[in-house]
Amino acid sequence: MSEPTVQPVAPGPPAPPATPPTPPTPVRPPDPQRALRAIAWIAGTFSAIVVVTMLYFHFTAAANDPWKSPQLLALRARLAVEPKNEAVKEQIRQLDFQFRHQFRQRLARDRFGAWLLAGGAALAALVARKAAESTRTVPLPQSERERLGLPKERPTRARWTVAAVGGVAALVLVATALLLRTSLPADAAGWRRLAGQVDAAPVAALPGLAEVQANSPRFRGWDGGGWTTGTNYALVWDRKSGQGIAWQSAIPAPGHNSPVIWGDHLFISGGTTAQREVLCYSVKDGRLLWRRTVEKVAGSAAKLPEVPEGTGFAACTTATDGRHVYAIFANGDLAALNFDGTVAWAKSVGVMKNSFGHASSLAIWQGTVIVQLDQGESGSSDSKLLAFDGANGRPVWQQTRTVPVSWATPIVVEAAGKTQIITLSQPWIIAYAFNDGHELWRAEALESEIVPSPIFAGGLVLAISPTSKLVAWRPDGAGDVTKSHLAWTAEDSNAPDVSSPVGNGEFAFTVSSGGMVSCVELKSGTRLWQHDLELSVQASPAIVGDRLFVLGEAGAAVVLSAGREFRELARSQLADKFLASPAFAQGRVFLRGETNLYCLGPTGKDQ
Amino acid sequence: MRRISKFGWLGGLLLLLLGGVARAQLLFPPPEFESGYRMPVTTTPPGRALWLQYLDVGVLAACLAVAVWLIYRPRSRRGIFWLSLFSLAYFGFYRKGCICPIGSPQNIAYGLLHPSYSVPVTVVAFFALPLIVALFFGRAFCAGVCPQGALQDFFLIKPIKVPAFLEHGLGLIPYLFLGAGIAYAATGTGFVICRYDPFVPIFRLSGSFFLLAAGVSFLLIGMFVGRPYCRFLCPYGALLKLGSLVSRWRVRVTPETCTQCRLCEHSCPFGALREPAPPGAPAPIPGERRTLGWLLVLLPVLIIAGALAGRALSPVAARLHPTVALAELYARQQQHPVVYGVMTPEALALARMAEQPGTVLEAAADLRGRFRLATAIFGAWFGLVVGIKLILLSLRVSRTDFEPDPGACFACARCFSSCPSERVRRGLPVVTVQPPVPAAASALAK
Repeated sequence: MSEPTVQPVAPGPPAPPATPPTPPTPVRPPDPQRALRAIAWIAGTFSAIVVVTMLYFHFTAAANDPWKSPQLLALRARLAVEPKNEAVKEQIRQLDFQFRHQFRQRLARDRFGAWLLAGGAALAALVARKAAESTRTVPLPQSERERLGLPKERPTRARWTVAAVGGVAALVLVATALLLRTSLPADAAGWRRLAGQVDAAPVAALPGLAEVQANSPRFRGWDGGGWTTGTNYALVWDRKSGQGIAWQSAIPAPGHNSPVIWGDHLFISGGTTAQREVLCYSVKDGRLLWRRTVEKVAGSAAKLPEVPEGTGFAACTTATDGRHVYAIFANGDLAALNFDGTVAWAKSVGVMKNSFGHASSLAIWQGTVIVQLDQGESGSSDSKLLAFDGANGRPVWQQTRTVPVSWATPIVVEAAGKTQIITLSQPWIIAYAFNDGHELWRAEALESEIVPSPIFAGGLVLAISPTSKLVAWRPDGAGDVTKSHLAWTAEDSNAPDVSSPVGNGEFAFTVSSGGMVSCVELKSGTRLWQHDLELSVQASPAIVGDRLFVLGEAGAAVVLSAGREFRELARSQLADKFLASPAFAQGRVFLRGETNLYCLGPTGKDQ
Repeated sequence: MRRISKFGWLGGLLLLLLGGVARAQLLFPPPEFESGYRMPVTTTPPGRALWLQYLDVGVLAACLAVAVWLIYRPRSRRGIFWLSLFSLAYFGFYRKGCICPIGSPQNIAYGLLHPSYSVPVTVVAFFALPLIVALFFGRAFCAGVCPQGALQDFFLIKPIKVPAFLEHGLGLIPYLFLGAGIAYAATGTGFVICRYDPFVPIFRLSGSFFLLAAGVSFLLIGMFVGRPYCRFLCPYGALLKLGSLVSRWRVRVTPETCTQCRLCEHSCPFGALREPAPPGAPAPIPGERRTLGWLLVLLPVLIIAGALAGRALSPVAARLHPTVALAELYARQQQHPVVYGVMTPEALALARMAEQPGTVLEAAADLRGRFRLATAIFGAWFGLVVGIKLILLSLRVSRTDFEPDPGACFACARCFSSCPSERVRRGLPVVTVQPPVPAAASALAK
């Protein structure tokens, strides 16, 4: 801007009005308000930047949980497989140190940011207060008339507001009470029931071992080994004349589970996408006594899992302790039914991550129901071993298993002075203590997907690695006994991929899906003989006294000598399809076919 | 009182059960294999020395005395401001908000109902001193001693007036919070007032994200709404308000004649100034009398309804108690078993409970009974507060001058210097107000 020019004033008549001179540009005095506002804005912006930065670090740190690091998870999974691998341990240590270092850095950064924020915010507030105070305008005093003109409805509005706030608060509390339902009982009886002091119906005493052994309370007999000492079993029959077939009854519900027998009760289960049920037949005459649908189970998933037809919803064999019969289905529903068909208790153990469908049967021991839920991938914590009190369904304990999905059924054995639960899943044989579920020992032995169940024979735990080998471990170790307690390995490319082995204390037998029967000496693991029965076999073989019973898928039943040499004793036929394993009790053989249930043994006339 | 050593077990349980999941992210688990490393024994810092606790009480008493003197003698806003900054520094950032009267009613309630717990003398002092002062001099504690109030006051930049009807409505919340805090303390659940104090994390420059966000939100709102926490949430403020209503001496804008200019009303950022009744106001009309009558009848109805509703709320309210929460988890596990991960708080809690399920369930059942009584009393208190508030709003105003509401006034001394009479009395220059300048004249002036 140019300086204003000054015109000389001449005497004489007044000159016409000229353009007024341009006033000099005033020098703006320092404006403290402006400065205060600028400082406040700068401090406020600085604080906002600090806040945003801290929030960014907070959320990124929360999202990057070091304990979910893929690298660490992979190392942990590897350590689970190779627990003595020092290199893996060292890598975990280094990773752990790195995480801790990052964590300390994060804490220091947070603290520094907090101080920066406190300083910035305090400065912004202080300066903004000053700026606001200096610009605050004082209102004019109001006149008496204005004061008297106060609205009369003011108390009414306040009253309504108070009522509204009180009402909203009451509504929120009531809605909370309605929405957040309690699981605790409302009456004293409910509390007693919850505490396990069941006063609704007295629970019968547990049966003795002799009674258990006289029945077939679970998959493959009383101990899951598929053997019986009885000698009064006629293992031959004539389909055409009906000789040797005590009765046969239609099965109205599909399923591949085996019969379970207790006294005059025979239990099987069946299931479809429409319903899952337990069926009870009379052992005496095959009459269907009752069938009970297991439904409306608390916590059961609304959407059923997709299960292949070959497995179905009722692949798991039931179990009984003489008081209840227990059944589990592929959707995770677990139920206990009284012998009259009423439901004692039911619960859901959740839908399993098992694309082929859950098929591990229940194990039962001294009134405790053992549920093996192997699922998901190796190294994950999805797989569990659960123990429930059969009397009331109360969880007794649970154990996480870092193993992948499997279909084997656990067995409970008395060995090395302990009651052990033996489980299989690739690549481990793992034994757990029955009383509290803690792991006793484990051995790395198995390959491929595990369907055959373990057995305990000749003081050894036997397990099949499908199409690879039969292995035997001594059950008296602790920790990882992979190398220390291996008894023997019997390599066998015909090792079954579905059926389980069977043993009689001297020999162990396996039957492959193609019908190849192998005999191994338990003491040494030496294969004694192998013979092709030329049958398709899915059911597990059984030993009855000194005979080996093999049931073919197409209904052919072959009786062999359970001895050092191969000898076929008899062969019978039924017109049905058989996938379930046979059950033996009270001198009779019980077979579940696809369409019928068969009782083989003395007919009514013979008895 | 925020940290009482005798409550360590209670805090530990609450942390494990309620905050365990969140805190687990900050904790590093022990190694998953034998490494030979020996875990150090966990230690806790020693409690504050007794003489330092007495020092805290002495500082509190001195601050209260100074506050009363500043309010009633020099009537100095500047003095109150500097006192509040000192309190903010001492009770806030030095003591980290961890000895203050706001949570002390919980200690008193717990101590009265649990003979095994003796309330420390310092806690009693922190509870009683501000209340006694309020009974004689009003809310001097809020004026310049409370760190929470000082922090909010510091951030008050451009106050806006909250409509009076809204002020009355939201003013109920502190009483509800007080009732809930005492109910939870009385049942041994925990000190929820302390747990959810939004300013303690700011004093400590550390805390949960939720509470830090709440504290910052209060400060941001407090830039425009004066002391939002004190007015609409603080449970101890509710007690002081009750005490101040019957205080012996009360803060007045000026000891001289009120000219009813309303300047004081505009100077108060907390809406505490009340206008006088219009001169020669008529006697209450029949409608107002009828309303008052109905509200008097409604009062017992509200109390009974509140008690019944509170009782119905007890099962849900009880779930905040760690023992009941554990029993709830156990019952849920019975009905819908969930497989929890190894070493998760839930799995550990269930494992502990499995050792003595009967004992825990018995204790939970007993607590549920206590909660039925506690929540019924809380509901009745809720009804009483709403009813009394409605009745008070229906009473005639008998004021002749503009006066601070003795309950709502924080005695911050802002209004003193705004009063022309007071300025004359103190020999200060009276604020002159420029008349509005017409637009044309303003243009010419340029």
